[in-house]
Amino acid sequence: MLIVLYYRARRGGSSASGRGGASGSGGRQVSRAMGSTSTMMRLYTDDAPGLKVDPVVVLVLSLVFIASVFLLHIYGKLTSTKG
Amino acid sequence: MGFRFLTLIRPFMAVIPEVAAPDRKVAFNQRVLWTVITLLIFLVLSQVPLYGIMSSDSSDPLYWMRVILASNRGTLMEFGITPIITSGMIMQLLAGAQIISVDQSLREDRALFSGAQKLFAMLITFGSATVAVMTGQYGDPKSLGAGICLLLIIQLFVAGVIVILLDEMLQKGYGLGSGINLFIATNICEDIVWKSLSPLTVNNGKGPEFEGAIISFFHLLFVRSNKFKAVYEALTRSTLPNLTNLVATALVFAVVIYLQGFRVEIPIKSARFRGHRASFPIKLFYTSSMPIMLQSALASNVFMISQLLYRRFPDNLLIKLFGVWEPYQGSSQFFPTSGLAYYMTPPRSFVNTLKDPIHFMLYVAYMLTACALLSRTWLDVSGSGPRDVARELRDQQMVIAGYRDTSMYKELKRIIPTAATVGGVIIGILSISADLLGAIGSGTGILLAVTIIYTYFETFAKEQTELGGVGVAGM
Repeated sequence: MLIVLYYRARRGGSSASGRGGASGSGGRQVSRAMGSTSTMMRLYTDDAPGLKVDPVVVLVLSLVFIASVFLLHIYGKLTSTKG
Repeated sequence: MGFRFLTLIRPFMAVIPEVAAPDRKVAFNQRVLWTVITLLIFLVLSQVPLYGIMSSDSSDPLYWMRVILASNRGTLMEFGITPIITSGMIMQLLAGAQIISVDQSLREDRALFSGAQKLFAMLITFGSATVAVMTGQYGDPKSLGAGICLLLIIQLFVAGVIVILLDEMLQKGYGLGSGINLFIATNICEDIVWKSLSPLTVNNGKGPEFEGAIISFFHLLFVRSNKFKAVYEALTRSTLPNLTNLVATALVFAVVIYLQGFRVEIPIKSARFRGHRASFPIKLFYTSSMPIMLQSALASNVFMISQLLYRRFPDNLLIKLFGVWEPYQGSSQFFPTSGLAYYMTPPRSFVNTLKDPIHFMLYVAYMLTACALLSRTWLDVSGSGPRDVARELRDQQMVIAGYRDTSMYKELKRIIPTAATVGGVIIGILSISADLLGAIGSGTGILLAVTIIYTYFETFAKEQTELGGVGVAGM
């Protein structure tokens, strides 16, 4: 039954983040307009924390990962036939 | 309360990778492109076997869960979307029980909370990878060696992180729909395509046979001298996927799509503007494939616990009543043969229903009740019940034509729960018949796939009308 909770959470979460995104862009404009007074606040906006990754980076990362696993398999094949 | 759990997360936020949100709305064509790329990556991930596995022949305790978790045994997608779901569930539960205090109106709290969810998902991936390797799921860790063990854990962990990031990417507006749905549907469709077109050959003593149903049909037509016998064999071979299974799958697909169109249109009109009319559709599948998903989640949990208990105490009477598990015909996979768990599994084939009609009757009764009840419950849980719909309409200043504002709730209360219950029962019936006809993938799997694909289709159609009919034609 836990999965019920999860899906409810998922729905709530996604709608909340959607709203967050919408109000986020608004908030950013406001802070830009207000200038230096809101520099303190900027620490805690969505932009501040975390390692931002471009989606292209995610794609490249996954392709590199897949390629390296392939290489491992090939390497494994080569060494096993030799030995 | 001076201490807050979320403040503990803040130092970690710097190392949790996060997909940057798009700074403007991504164009539809581009979103399709991102979705397709994600899909391809997922497909490859769920086919590439893990490097360094010695064996994965032991009985699979997650066998019943694989469909809704989009995971494949022994591949990089060993865990599928399990970490995302588990971490989301636990964190929401903790937040709901006020163990972690989250102020959803604060942006900082929201960011920290989602960061915490992701961090937790990554920890779960790492933890379950370590446990899986150390408990010898891929062969004895001693004979594998420390290097290979480490490599296995790294592979599982990185694959898990990639799935988390891909899901986040789609959700943040680069793609269509949610990653989880996409992965589930992909996994099932892949299974269907593979079983119909697989070029692998298997030798069952009568010469090599192709695994894929369609390919094997043509192969048999060319090879066998008696064409009628060839067709008959292609239709009925029992150990490998045959054409009947494929036809059954297509049939279930068609029926579900046909039934998706069934809806009650409630005429509504604006309370403010005279003459502004619209209609509010209430679908027969009001709760979509949710009942079957919940039912299979419930059943697979029961199966897992029962199997675990039976292995530990095979002689206890109570546990035997709960379920007796035995390996099925030469495979190492355990299936229940009696007890409660047995009556919760679908009959293996049409012939088996005749052999054990009581099992079939009880199974049908259980499925239909479970689906109907879960569908009803889902209304309240998901906030799509009559009360919520009435409030939503009122917020938009709409009323049902011919009803007063106050009696709107009563009218909705008459229609929506009925639709949910009947829809749940029909979903249950479809799932049972898909299993009986031997459709490829389980009945649950097909229903999930069809409803998810149908939702995507609706999204396409909607975008197309918004773009004035350019979108899909361009792909």
